[in-house]
Amino acid sequence: MTKIQINGREVEADPKQPLIRACHDQGVDVPMYCYHPGLAPVGSCRICQVEVAGAPGQPSRVVAACRTPVSEGMVVSTDTPKAHDTRRECLEFLLKNHPLDCPICDKAGECDLQDYAFNEGQGKGRSSEPRRKLEKRKSLGDVIVLDEERCILCSRCVRFFTDVTKKAQLTVEGLGSHSVINTYMDKPLEGNYQGNLADICPVGALTSKKFRFQARVWNLSKTLSTCGECSRGCSISVESLRAKQVKRIRPRYNAAVNQWWMCDTGRHALAPLTRALAPEGEVLGGRLRTAAVRGYNGLECSDDVAALDLAADMLASHPGTLVIVSPFATQEEAKAALALAQALKATPQFVSPAPNALKDDLLHTGDPCPNRRGLLELGFGALAPADALAALAVAPSAVLAGERVLELLGHAGLALLPKKLRLVAFDVEASDLASLDIAFPVPTHVEKSGHWINVDGRVGVLNVALPPPALVRRLDLQLAALTAKLSAVPQGS
Amino acid sequence: MKDFPKYLLNRVGLPNSHTLATYRAEGGYRAIEDVLKKPWTSEQVIGVMKDSLLRGRGGAGFPTGMKWSFMPDITKDPRPRYLAVNADESEPGTCKDRVLMERDPHGLIEGCLIACFAMRAKAAYIYVRGEYRLSYNRLQAAIDEAREAGLVGQHILGTDFSCDIWMHKGAGAYICGEETGLMESLEGKRGHPRPKPPFPAGSGLWKSPTTVNNVESIFNAPFIVRNGAEWFKSMGVPKSTGNFLLGISGHVNKPGVYELPFGLTARQIIDEVALGVWKGRKLKAFFPGGSSTGLLPASMADVVMDHDSVKAAGSMFGTAAMIVLDETASIPQVMDVTARFYDHESCGQCSQCREGTQWLHQIFRRIAHGKGQMSDLDLLVSLSNGMAPAKTICALADAAAIPTLAAVKHFRHEFEECIRLGRDPLRNESKHAPRLHEAHA
Repeated sequence: MTKIQINGREVEADPKQPLIRACHDQGVDVPMYCYHPGLAPVGSCRICQVEVAGAPGQPSRVVAACRTPVSEGMVVSTDTPKAHDTRRECLEFLLKNHPLDCPICDKAGECDLQDYAFNEGQGKGRSSEPRRKLEKRKSLGDVIVLDEERCILCSRCVRFFTDVTKKAQLTVEGLGSHSVINTYMDKPLEGNYQGNLADICPVGALTSKKFRFQARVWNLSKTLSTCGECSRGCSISVESLRAKQVKRIRPRYNAAVNQWWMCDTGRHALAPLTRALAPEGEVLGGRLRTAAVRGYNGLECSDDVAALDLAADMLASHPGTLVIVSPFATQEEAKAALALAQALKATPQFVSPAPNALKDDLLHTGDPCPNRRGLLELGFGALAPADALAALAVAPSAVLAGERVLELLGHAGLALLPKKLRLVAFDVEASDLASLDIAFPVPTHVEKSGHWINVDGRVGVLNVALPPPALVRRLDLQLAALTAKLSAVPQGS
Repeated sequence: MKDFPKYLLNRVGLPNSHTLATYRAEGGYRAIEDVLKKPWTSEQVIGVMKDSLLRGRGGAGFPTGMKWSFMPDITKDPRPRYLAVNADESEPGTCKDRVLMERDPHGLIEGCLIACFAMRAKAAYIYVRGEYRLSYNRLQAAIDEAREAGLVGQHILGTDFSCDIWMHKGAGAYICGEETGLMESLEGKRGHPRPKPPFPAGSGLWKSPTTVNNVESIFNAPFIVRNGAEWFKSMGVPKSTGNFLLGISGHVNKPGVYELPFGLTARQIIDEVALGVWKGRKLKAFFPGGSSTGLLPASMADVVMDHDSVKAAGSMFGTAAMIVLDETASIPQVMDVTARFYDHESCGQCSQCREGTQWLHQIFRRIAHGKGQMSDLDLLVSLSNGMAPAKTICALADAAAIPTLAAVKHFRHEFEECIRLGRDPLRNESKHAPRLHEAHA
């Protein structure tokens, strides 16, 4: 470690990291546009300029902190008039051609240009020249749209493809004040990581097509969570609007798992989280609202205590129950399922669909089971959907528990199960199956707290981003209640 | 003007001066032979270059020998090392290297060999401006000829010294004349200058130690090696030694490239070398060393043309490309054109330069077209101070800011008159002058 002085404080800095990193590590705010800790620094935006004292007798210098290595005894000031002036001048240049369409810009509220202009900029522009007119909405593929006018040419997006996905797709085209970002040969962007461009763009130049004009970011509540689309378990922030709907999922920095990035599959997996409820009083046609029990006219809404009693009776009178959980089950739910399996003298198992083709070298593991490792560690057996269906076809009764368990087993296969099978399902959505006798609603993984264990054994935390629908209770509590009922019911009666 | 010894352009006028035969007949390749056969050590070559006090002719005037000595010790750093010769001569007004490359290419090749020997470089790359087709062809022919004669390639003159020389043609970007931009371009990338540090001597071409020198600086090396540092120092003034090539253009009777010793005044050069301002008009102003150096008014024409004196006068010696303006020249128009050049040539990396060069151009264009405001003049100064000095990766922002500051400082009255009248009284209404609406935006 190297000793340097930042704003009069003696601190230790990593000599392998640029000066800006040392400042940020010390909680000293140095603005940045082109610099991103996950990308190679280029030092082109010049907004991170700080004052560094010269050798004795020499005047101090203003340097770009992102391209200046830390050296022993360096005396750095970020807060002097000279440093502020340099950054203010730099901002004025950056804002000269910026359209200032913040009121209609998706980035407004989390825009670095807006923030630093507010902190350090001057109140009034001095330019009377017309602003640059460029293309306002240029599609760069299915995910991203580019606003050339807003772009400040920091080249983070260009470097994202060269440094992170290692497949260059974007470039700066043109020279000087005519530079614009473009793809090579105007081809649309490819790959599963395009969504990250909207995150790393410091201004509103690259925005997500899916999130465009969906919400003002200051109205979004952000909840720390974990992505469930593969066993990588990227750390994410689930952003919901007025506690009603998840509008956006973004990666959150986790050095050990996903760093700053996440794939588009996880980012755009909003459909399972934004499913509408079934109509009032109905079981099918949307998310399950309440417990449902098979009556004369098929599945009918029921009181959940009564449904639970019925389920306990039914399972107790049909011994040899299969207990199969969803790979989305959290450790807490899995433990409750384990207790239930013990009470039913069953072998705990989980649905383990085959790996998908989304596997890549960066993050996606191709394994659709977010908690595979955790379930295996708890002693659950992995069961391919086909094997699970075969076992169900000959079982007297079964409990299927967890988010998406029916979907992962396959509705087509489930529909073929014999009617005599006594089936209790805990899932987000019920299905019109002849064998399904009792169904209980469960929260989605953004509506509950819990833990998953990822492919490398890292624990991922789930937090409640949205309240679950009114009568939907936590799965682990429901399973525990069922276990308790079962031990109260005399076995084999 | 008193007589002075000449050496740079002695071979240029000879018939077939670009061929090996002529060069050999004039004592060519004697210096590298000396160095290799005597033999000299690399340190001795660098020593004599340092002692000669030769200052780089590419604009900054940094001592060449010193630059060579920055290359890391070969015993501690086994990476290959390279010499890059900057022949991307594109500073407006500059045309001196072209003469050397077209008429005396072997002189440059011998200089490259000496420089490579001194720095233990295994190869030299000559980055030639794309428009210089004749220079490129002549140099390429000369390299082929020299290679045939065993002067370039493996085991030069039967010794252990091997050195290859390769050519690269630029594609017309001014910024590729900046040393790090040149290296990026040589590597096949966009010619975007790299931040320093690391300096080229530490990590240059392909992350190896590299020295980038101007053509004329390299061209001086064989002369210094053959004749010694004392001979070289006997010419010029104490801190700017040797002769230099002056390219003089603009409103003079005899523009061209001349070999001159340091120490003449600008007025002597204009009146005695270029035979005075044309059409019997009076001198108004001149750029001493290319358009990136600050404009000086006629009242300062008695400045001595050497690096330090021009700097003391508030400008720069630059590439010694004097651009002379007579009394009919309109400074707002000159600055419009100058600023347009930098707007066009900024690489676009740094915010200040990308936006600032455009902004300066927009303001100068408005003033030159009679649409200026008095507040524009202070804005020009303020913007220039926001762009320079040393606030960006390379010096292009400085190159745009310096002439702006100088023009506003020395010719403020002319801008003010333009603004007050709402038109440029000196405007040249020729059909070639761009109208406001069609000028490059």
